[in-house]
Amino acid sequence: MSSSLRSELPHHHDVELLKAVAAKNEAALGQLYDRYRLILFSVLMRILNNREEAEDVLQEVFLQVWRRAADFDANRGKPFTWLVTLARSRGIDRLRSLASRERVVTAGANEASDEVSDAATDAIRAEQRGVVNDALAQLPEEQKRPLMLAYFDGLTQTEIAYKLGAPLGTVKTRMRSGMMKLRELLSARGQYFE
Amino acid sequence: MAHDDYKEMLPALALSALDAEDALALHEHLSECNECRRELADWENTAASLALSASPAEPSPHVRTRIMNAVRSDKGARTQEASRVVPFPKNPRAVWTSFGQVGAIAAAVLFLVLIVWIFVLWQQNRALRRDMDSLMSEFRSVQEDARRSQEFLAILSSPGAKVAPLRGNGPGAGANAQLVYDSSGYAMLRANDLPPTPAGKEYQLWFIVGNNPPIPGGTFTPDDIGRAELTDRVPARALNSAVFAVTLEPTGGSRAPTSAVYLRSTL
Repeated sequence: MSSSLRSELPHHHDVELLKAVAAKNEAALGQLYDRYRLILFSVLMRILNNREEAEDVLQEVFLQVWRRAADFDANRGKPFTWLVTLARSRGIDRLRSLASRERVVTAGANEASDEVSDAATDAIRAEQRGVVNDALAQLPEEQKRPLMLAYFDGLTQTEIAYKLGAPLGTVKTRMRSGMMKLRELLSARGQYFE
Repeated sequence: MAHDDYKEMLPALALSALDAEDALALHEHLSECNECRRELADWENTAASLALSASPAEPSPHVRTRIMNAVRSDKGARTQEASRVVPFPKNPRAVWTSFGQVGAIAAAVLFLVLIVWIFVLWQQNRALRRDMDSLMSEFRSVQEDARRSQEFLAILSSPGAKVAPLRGNGPGAGANAQLVYDSSGYAMLRANDLPPTPAGKEYQLWFIVGNNPPIPGGTFTPDDIGRAELTDRVPARALNSAVFAVTLEPTGGSRAPTSAVYLRSTL
């Protein structure tokens, strides 16, 4: 893994933090929040596009981490993946529970980006974002779009096919090709994120 | 669906993009496929990296405070919950002699009695069902016999009816039969003590007029005790003067007799 993609604190540190949270250590949860608040909130803002909703879900996510940290199994996954998947899942649930799929407020996540600093404690650094965005930029739009619709809008393959007006089989193929290409590009840059 | 088909679905599952039916099938496969489970974890890492494409956004500072406060109150609530647990009495003798314990024993005994009672009822019910099935089968058999006897008597009592007794012959020496038929030719054969038929064989009735080739009649198979009945039609030319015979033929009957005669009438 390239050094530019490593977080300041190593992967096993997050594992230890999660173990401490499972043992009901509040300070450990505080540290975990400090390390993951930016990435998780960014995902939630992208999904919900509403600060109030996103902050509410972020609180739910960390309360869930507090209660379910013992479920995390370091042999089966990484803290980054576990936490991001948890946040994304809660965000999509909230999105679906809202009356309309229309975004609640048009003020976007971009507004907040100016306020963000690369704090030394943050689990994700700007370089890592750059690697992912570079990789996505290399995907053909027809492969990238289904991935983003699935990940940030929570759409199924059938819904994506309907939205894009493309045959279901085509969407499946493009989605798989896009994921394979993304994995290949990230691996070449020393992914995965810890 | 083959293993490779499931493997192809893994990236979509990591994105939670599979339709419900596919997701269900894949989850079933995952429960028994280590290779796919390992590969799914890899795809989940790839999917999670998409999170980094979201524009960075900072939550308000009060969110951390709210979370930490919620965690403290959650912790407090759990502690209180634990303190509300009624402790187990320390003196076991007091428990043993308590009314509650006696009640528990009585309930356990009652429960056992109930289980035994249910078992006995279940067995009785099974025996009754067996008896009923047997009686029903017997009743149907008697009903069928009565119906055939009525039919036999109806032919016998019709004007111009004839009865031809058939005697056992050769391998069917111990058997006997009666063929009754009316003036229109409508006939019924009732046979007794016929030997059982081998696999692929049936008995067949023949009508023999003079020196002409035997005219084939219907086929039949006797029951477990050698009884058999057959309704048939006697050909017009055999109504007044014919010999009736029964041979053993391949299932479905023959166009000409191929075996020894088991039963035959006399003119």
